[in-house]
Amino acid sequence: MSPFWLSYLPVAIILSSLLPGLIIFTLKEQQVKLRISLNLLGVSVKLILVLIMWQAVKAGDIFYFSLPFLPGADLVLQGDALSLLFVVLSSVLWLATTIYAIGYLENSPLRSRFFGYFSLCVSATVGLALSGNLVSFLLFYELLTLATFPLVVHRGTPQSLAAGRRYLAYTLSGGLLLLTGVALLHSVVQSPQFIPGGYVSAVVSEHAMLLKLAFALMIGGLGVKAALLPLHGWLPQAMVAPAPVSALLHAVAVVKAGAFGIIRLVYDVFGVDSMQQLQLAEPLMLLAAATILYGSWRALAQQDIKRRLAYSTISQVSYITVGVAMLGPLAAVGGLVHLVHQGVMKITLFFCAGNYAETLGVHKIRELNGAGRRMPLTSAAFTLAALGMIGIPPSAGFISKWYLGLGAVATDNNLMLMVFVLSGLLNAGYFLPIVYRLWFLPQRGSWPQEQRLSASLETHWMLLLPMLFTALLIILMGLFASTGVSPLSWAQLIVEREFSYD
Amino acid sequence: MIIVLLLVPLLSALLMLLWPRIAPLLALLSAAVSSLFAAKLLLQVNEQGTLQWLLAGWPTGLAISWQADSLSCLLILLCSILQLLVGFYAFATRARDQLSQGFWPLSTLLQLSLTVLWLSRDLFNLYVCLELLGLVAVALVSLSGGKAFKPALNYLLLSLFGSLCYLLGVVLLYAVYGLLDIKGLAQAWQADWLSSCALLLMSLGLMLKAALWPLHAWLPAAHAAAPAPVSALLSALVVKGPLFILCLLWLQLASVQQAQLVAPLFAGAGLAALLFGGWSALRTPFIKNLVAYSTVAQLGYATLALGLMLKFDQPLIFAALWLFVLAHALAKAACFLAVGEMSATLGGKRLTIVKGASQTMPLAMFAFAVAGGSLIGLPPSGGFVAKWALLQGLWLQGELLLWPLALVLATLLSAAYVFRVVVVAFDRADPVAPDFAPQLLPQWLALLPALAVWAMAMFSEPLLLLLRLEA
Amino acid sequence: MTELSATFIVFAFTAASLIAIGFYSFITGPEPLRRILALNIISAGIFMLMVVLAYRGYDDTAVSVGDPVLQALVLTGLVVAVSATAFALAMLARLEQQKPEQQKPEQNRVAKSQISRPEQ
Repeated sequence: MSPFWLSYLPVAIILSSLLPGLIIFTLKEQQVKLRISLNLLGVSVKLILVLIMWQAVKAGDIFYFSLPFLPGADLVLQGDALSLLFVVLSSVLWLATTIYAIGYLENSPLRSRFFGYFSLCVSATVGLALSGNLVSFLLFYELLTLATFPLVVHRGTPQSLAAGRRYLAYTLSGGLLLLTGVALLHSVVQSPQFIPGGYVSAVVSEHAMLLKLAFALMIGGLGVKAALLPLHGWLPQAMVAPAPVSALLHAVAVVKAGAFGIIRLVYDVFGVDSMQQLQLAEPLMLLAAATILYGSWRALAQQDIKRRLAYSTISQVSYITVGVAMLGPLAAVGGLVHLVHQGVMKITLFFCAGNYAETLGVHKIRELNGAGRRMPLTSAAFTLAALGMIGIPPSAGFISKWYLGLGAVATDNNLMLMVFVLSGLLNAGYFLPIVYRLWFLPQRGSWPQEQRLSASLETHWMLLLPMLFTALLIILMGLFASTGVSPLSWAQLIVEREFSYD
Repeated sequence: MIIVLLLVPLLSALLMLLWPRIAPLLALLSAAVSSLFAAKLLLQVNEQGTLQWLLAGWPTGLAISWQADSLSCLLILLCSILQLLVGFYAFATRARDQLSQGFWPLSTLLQLSLTVLWLSRDLFNLYVCLELLGLVAVALVSLSGGKAFKPALNYLLLSLFGSLCYLLGVVLLYAVYGLLDIKGLAQAWQADWLSSCALLLMSLGLMLKAALWPLHAWLPAAHAAAPAPVSALLSALVVKGPLFILCLLWLQLASVQQAQLVAPLFAGAGLAALLFGGWSALRTPFIKNLVAYSTVAQLGYATLALGLMLKFDQPLIFAALWLFVLAHALAKAACFLAVGEMSATLGGKRLTIVKGASQTMPLAMFAFAVAGGSLIGLPPSGGFVAKWALLQGLWLQGELLLWPLALVLATLLSAAYVFRVVVVAFDRADPVAPDFAPQLLPQWLALLPALAVWAMAMFSEPLLLLLRLEA
Repeated sequence: MTELSATFIVFAFTAASLIAIGFYSFITGPEPLRRILALNIISAGIFMLMVVLAYRGYDDTAVSVGDPVLQALVLTGLVVAVSATAFALAMLARLEQQKPEQQKPEQNRVAKSQISRPEQ
C-alpha cells in the first residue's frame, strides 16, 4: 500500500525527540545556540512526521512496526486514530513548551540535563501513545516515570527531593501494579495488538474472576498517573518542579498517559461488550466521579496558585475517565475531546502561573490583586482558560462538557449529570475569585520579586508567545469545533471506528 | 575447542607469574580469546546439541565427565566477557587505585575455575573447582590489604567449612553408590535417608558459599572490602558457581519426594533473603555495602525460583532462574564498577558521597541507575524478563496470589534501595575543585554491562527458548 | 573388612567423632586459629572415612589395595587441604602482624572501661 519507509514512521516519530535529547545530554552548558537549534529541529521534524501520519490515518491507513520482545508479546508500535489524538496533542504542546522553557530557564544552571530529560519525556509520551499492545505500553509507561523523575527534582532543593521521592513511590508502585495486571492478563489471553472491541471477549465467561482482577490491577496502576482518588497524592507535591515541567508533564504528559491508558484498556483491550458483561464500568465511573468532586473541593481551599491548578487537574482528568466509563458513543466523544481540550487549557493556565512567578514573584493567590493591569496579556489568557475550564461557550471546554452531558443523558445517567453540574459550580467557585482579583481589585503594595524581562512587553517574549498560542487554540477549538480539522471531529472519527467494529 | 578454553587461561596465568610486566596484556588477551571460543562453543552446542566428554579416555564411572549444554556455554561466555570488561576497567584505573599485580593471574585463575565448574558433571571434580574458586576469591579480596584481611579471613574459613561439608556429602554418596558421575548417580538414585543426609550436607556447604540466606552474613563485608573490579567479579560470578551446583544436585539427583520436601525451604529462604537483604540495603550507610546487600537480596530471587522450580517443575521457572542470574551478573558488575569509580573519584565510602553525582559524574551515575533498573525489574531490562517469566510460570501452575504478591513486595524494596542512591545523586552538587576531571573511560566501561542487560531484553525470546529446553 | 565387621565400625566411628569434634569447635570458636585447627580436624575425619570406605568389601587378610578411586580422591583432597591451611595460616599471620599497630588504642579503651565498670 505505502512505500516501505512509511512502516518506520512510528519509530521515526519517537526518534525525532529521542535523538536530539541524547545529543543534548552531551552538550556543555554554554552551547546555548546549538541546544536550542537541536530542540527546535526535533520539534519541527516531529511535527512534519506527525502531519504525514495524520493524513494517512485519516485516509484509513494504520501503521505497524514490531520488534520481537517477549514470547507472545512483541514490541509493537501502532499508529491509529486514537494514538494520533495523543501524539498530536503532545507534539504541538511540546513545541509550545520548548519555547517557553527556553525563556523560563534562561541563565539557570543544568539546562543540558533539563532539556535532555525533557526530550526523553516527550519521546516516552509519544511512544506510549503509539504503543500497539499492553506490553509496549507498559514499557513506555515505566520509561515515562524514569524520565520525569529528574525533572521533578530538577531544582535540587530539599522540598523537590522529597517530592521526587514521593513521586517515585507512587509511580513505581503504580507501574508495578500495572506490570502485575498486564502479566496476569498475558497469562490468560497473551498480549495481542490493541483492537477496537477488545480481545478478551472469548474468555469472558471462563475467566471472569481473573479478568476482573487484572482490570482492577491495571486501573490501579494507571490510576496513579491519572490521579484517581486514593492515588492522587503525588500530583500537588510534584508542583515544586519548574513551571514548564508542571505545564507539559503534570498537566499533559503524565496524567494523560494514565487517562489514555484507561481509554485503551476500556475500548481496545476489554471492549464495550466485555466491560458490560463483567460489570466493570460502573465502579470505575463512580470512582472517577468521586475524584472529580474531591479534586474540585480541595482546589477551593488551596492558596498557592500551582497547587490549586494541580487539584483542578486531578478533577478535570477524571472527566475523561468518566466519559470513557459511561460506555456510550456521545460520552466517549466528550471524554476523548476533553483529553485534548483540557490539555490545552491547563497548559495555558500553568504558563500563566509561571509568568506570574517569573515576572512578579507571585506564588500565592492573594498576591495576585491587580495583576491584570501590570500583565494584561497573561491575565487575559488566564481568564480565557479559566472560563474554558468552567465550560462557558464558546471556549473549548464548553464543547467537551456539552458532549459529556449529552452522553450522560443518552445513557440515562442522571447521577453523572448532577456530578457535572456540581463540579461546574465548584470550578466557577475556585476560578472566578482569581479572575476577580486579577481585574477588579487594586494592587496591594509592591510585587514580591519583580523583574523587568523585556523593554516593551510585560515579560519575556518567549514566555508570552507560547501562552498566547495555546490561548488562541482554546478559542479556535471552540469556535471551529464542527470543521474537519478540529479535535472534536477527530474524536468523532475515533468513536465511529471504536463503536462500529462489528 | 574446549581445550583452548582451559589452556589459554591456565597458561597465561602461569606466564603472568613468570613475567609480571606483561600480565595485564596477557590477562586481557586470554579473556578475549576465551570469549571468542566461548561464543563459538555456544553456537556449536546450539547446532549439534549437548556435547559430552570423558576425560583422559577412561571408561564411564571412572573418568571425570564433562558436559557442555547451552546453559553451561552461556555461563562460560558470560564469565569470559565480564572478565574482559572488568579487566579493561582494572587496566584503566590501575595507576589511580594502586591495584596489586596479583589481580591479573588471580582473576585469570578465577575464570579458569569457573569455566571448569560450569562444565563439570562429576561431584569430586566440582569439589576441586569449588575449593580453587574459594581460595582465588579470598586471595582477590585480600588484595586491598590492611582492612580487607579480616573479612577475607572470615570468608576463607567459612568457605573452607562449606567445602568440607560438601566433601563429606560427596563421600557419603560415594559410600552408598560408589559413583561420582552425576548422570550415573541420577540413574542409581534411591531416596533413602543416607542420600538425603548427604544432599542436605552438600546444600548447607553450597548455600554457605553462595551466601544464600540465612548463611549470607560474610558476604557484605567481604564484597565491600574488596577493590572495585574484584567486587564486580565476586558478586557477578563467584557466588553463582555454588548456586549452579546446588541446582544440579536438586534438579538432577533428588527424587520427587525429596524435592517437594525442601521446595518450601528454598522458596522461604529466597523470600527471606529478598526481604532482609533489601531491608539491610535500605539501612546501611555505606554505598558499597548497599550494593553488596543487594546481591544478597537478588540471590534470593534465584533461591526462590529454585524452590518454586522444585515445587512445580515448570520449565519457565527454570528459565527465569537463569535469567535472573544472567541479568544480575551484568547489572551487578555495572553497579560495582560505577560505585567503585564514584567512590574513588569523589573520595569516601558513605552513601553521601554521591550527592550531586548526577552533575559531577553523570555517566557513572547513569550506569548505576540503568543497572538498578534491571535489579528492580523495570522493562525492558533483563531483570524484567526474568520476573515476567517467573510470573508467567507461576500463573501457568495456577499459583495466583501468594508468590506473585511476594515478588511485588520484593520489587518495591529493591526500587526503594536503588532510588535511595539516585535521589541523593540528584541533590545539587557541592562545588568541585577546579582541577576536578573524572576519568571517562572507566565510566563508560561501567555503563557497558548496564546497557547490555537492557539489550538482553531484546533477545529474551531466544534466551527463554534456550533455557527452557535445558530444564 | 566387611561393613559390619568390628574394625570397620571402630574406624568409621572414630572418623565420625573426629568430624563431630571439628564441627563443634568450628561453630563455637570465635578464634581464627581455633577454627583453622577445627577445619583440619574435620578434614582429617573425612579423609579417614574415605580410607576406611576404600577398604570396605576387600579381604583384609590378603595383601589388598582397596578402592583406588577413593585413594586418589584422598590424595587430591590432602593436597587441597594442606594448601588451604597454609593460605589461611599465612593470612592469619598477616592479620596478627597488623594488630599491634592498629588495635593498641582500642585495647586501652577496653581496659579502661573494664576498670571503670566496678565503680558504676
